[in-house]
Amino acid sequence: MYWTDTGTWSPFGELRSLQREMNRLFDGYDGGTSISRFPALNVWGNSDQVVVNAELPGLQIEDIDLNVVNNQLTIKGERKSDKPAEDAVCHRNERGVGSFVRTVRLPFAVENDKVSAKYEDGVLSIVLPRQEATKPKRIEIKAS
Amino acid sequence: MKENKEKNLEKAGSDKAEPTRDAKVFVPATDIYEKDDAILVRCDMPGVAQDRIDIRLDNAELEISGTQAAASPEGVDLLMGEYETGVFRRRFSIPQQVDREKIRARLHNGVLDIELPKAEQAKPRKIEITTGG
Repeated sequence: MYWTDTGTWSPFGELRSLQREMNRLFDGYDGGTSISRFPALNVWGNSDQVVVNAELPGLQIEDIDLNVVNNQLTIKGERKSDKPAEDAVCHRNERGVGSFVRTVRLPFAVENDKVSAKYEDGVLSIVLPRQEATKPKRIEIKAS
Repeated sequence: MKENKEKNLEKAGSDKAEPTRDAKVFVPATDIYEKDDAILVRCDMPGVAQDRIDIRLDNAELEISGTQAAASPEGVDLLMGEYETGVFRRRFSIPQQVDREKIRARLHNGVLDIELPKAEQAKPRKIEITTGG
């Protein structure tokens, strides 16, 4: 196939770009992104901090990995299969297993060392205080 | 885990009594396993504290319900809400072979485990075949 050389014109190139475009359209069908939306997040905030909650039942703390870079929070983790015994017969299986990654952009940069997280009753809760330098400052106007 | 991203709302029009409080009722995702000596029901119930879980056995029906802690921290506004909290509820029919006295439940990291041990006479037994002489 001498047409695979990227520098030369190919009659399939147009088709390929059309296919890419179609894939992009249909991938983005769930809420505008093709990126995974698991876990669902609830995010609260005020001008000093952001609180992020996620429902992640049945995980071990060591299987959750949190990362903060500037104003991006990444939650990574894996739920392992918890089949009670090898010979147990499964009648119903609705609880999914597998790994997930979710990144959210926070409204401001946060103090990386002051981020705290807790995992209680299967709910992950992360508190992210705002970076001092980015806090709004009131500027006094002096009358001349 | 993509298809599990949303909680299943309980379908309207089922024979259950409707809640009088303004709380959404969710159906917890459940795995059911059967071992030789017991049936294990495992439900995802995140955000439900141990004292908010109610397990009731009524005739041949096991009803599980649990109220989620309203997870709204104080002094902050909701910026992005992707899930709601409410009440988890689900009913299962219990087969005759279960020993009702020995049902046990355990909650760990938002997962509720209910073990339904089988009655002695319902456990599988190996039957020896004797060759008739």
